[in-house]
Amino acid sequence: MSSSAPLTGAGINIAGQDQIYDPYEYKLHDNPYPVYKRLRDDYPLFYNKRHDFYAISRYDDCMAALRNFRIFVNKYSTTLEKEIIPGVLPFILMLDPPDHTRLRHLLVNQFRPQNVAPLEDIVRKMARKLLAPHAHAGKIDIIQDFAAKLPMAIICQLMGVREEDEDMLRGWTDDIVHRDDGVSETTEINETGTRNLLGYFELMIQARLKTGEFGEDLVGQLMTFEKEGKLNHAEVLGYLFLITIGGNETTTKLIGNFSWQLWHAKDECARVIADRSLAAAAVEETLRIDGPTQMQARTTSEDFEMYGHVIPAGSKVAVILTSGNRDERHYTDPDRFMIDRHSRDHLGFGAGLHSCLGAALARMEGRIALEEMLDIMPHWEVVEANSHRMHSAYVRGYTHLPLIFTPRSQS
Amino acid sequence: MSQIEITFIQPDGEEKTVTVEPGFTLMEAALFNGVDGIQGLCGGVCSCATCHIALDADVLAKIAEATDGEAEMLELLDDHVATSRLGCQISASETLNGARIRIIGTLA
Repeated sequence: MSSSAPLTGAGINIAGQDQIYDPYEYKLHDNPYPVYKRLRDDYPLFYNKRHDFYAISRYDDCMAALRNFRIFVNKYSTTLEKEIIPGVLPFILMLDPPDHTRLRHLLVNQFRPQNVAPLEDIVRKMARKLLAPHAHAGKIDIIQDFAAKLPMAIICQLMGVREEDEDMLRGWTDDIVHRDDGVSETTEINETGTRNLLGYFELMIQARLKTGEFGEDLVGQLMTFEKEGKLNHAEVLGYLFLITIGGNETTTKLIGNFSWQLWHAKDECARVIADRSLAAAAVEETLRIDGPTQMQARTTSEDFEMYGHVIPAGSKVAVILTSGNRDERHYTDPDRFMIDRHSRDHLGFGAGLHSCLGAALARMEGRIALEEMLDIMPHWEVVEANSHRMHSAYVRGYTHLPLIFTPRSQS
Repeated sequence: MSQIEITFIQPDGEEKTVTVEPGFTLMEAALFNGVDGIQGLCGGVCSCATCHIALDADVLAKIAEATDGEAEMLELLDDHVATSRLGCQISASETLNGARIRIIGTLA
């Protein structure tokens, strides 16, 4: 697993490591990439004493851990916290084969690229509707006015959630993922958000059971699986919980992150402006260089040796995906945003059995969002002074990202 | 139904025979049993082609045809052959019991 390690001999000196990586500290979130580079170069197996977890950061190590689902297991959650949020129900990200396989197979077909493609018109219409009020204004908060709304609107439509409830659901998902600065423990707000979200779906299911009409949407499909004995009720709610969070948070952050990356890499942005067909590649490169999902945790099911050090069974291990994505050992000039890179092996969606189920939908939403943004603003400037980051150990992106632009109608 | 036996053959000829529960995909059968050359990078949603395999023609004739999406993906691969398929799109079933599967080793 650690063949690329230059460190030989007695193994890595875990005890003597500077404590450079604490994903709960807000100051890391502005620019974690220099810290990741130091981890890769100096501490490819890192141990955080305060929060008691290991971290791996090189591409090959991340990939090997993601593939090795027997030792790096998901069943104790994919967060570093020892406690999971009270009330959370089982979902596929927290299961291992064969239960994971059984559940994933039920919905995998719906998320294949060819089955997601027919949604393109719906996504485009929604994107246009959200952008239209800002088209002549010359300014937009691309998160609050657009990116926070688009994925939620789409996933709500797929689940059959009423349009007027979208903001409420988004608020709850924000509550669920919120963490205070430096705090790893889950809080009351996480628990309330979870209870509200699951309660909402329970009411929705009960209402449909009463009428006997389940519907064709995702909620209806999951209800049918329960009726057929393929899922139990907790698994139905767990799936809806995952879809709501997964369908919302990360795609929102992806749109914000490519808005920043393309503003920063002006030459590459000019190419996308000149040739709209490059939009998909620009989104893909954003997933590599600044993917929203920075890190996912696994738990070791048995002792495992890396770099001459034994990680004890039952340890939490942070797999830093975006560090792997910037590993000089794997990618040439990894800190450079290059539309022509076409790296399909990046870890932006994870890898292996737990790879993001909604990847095709996220790719499509990202591409259409960029195409439609380019339609109202040929180029934009980021007002960094007024931008705000989300603070999460796992997800990187903005909560506010104001853009100013010369409206296409005036340019 | 009992377990399905599958033999994976590496490009260099090395063979490994594994068993898998019916309903699991050939990509999963490889991953569950540590078979090299099958990456399964996308987790089975037919979008990375890192589980590219070739079947014997008689076995291929007996299983469901590739969907349009899978066929399009296969056509994009420089190393595809007449009996190419994606392992994540084929479920293990009695029809495949004893099948010999060639791993092409397509990388992302």
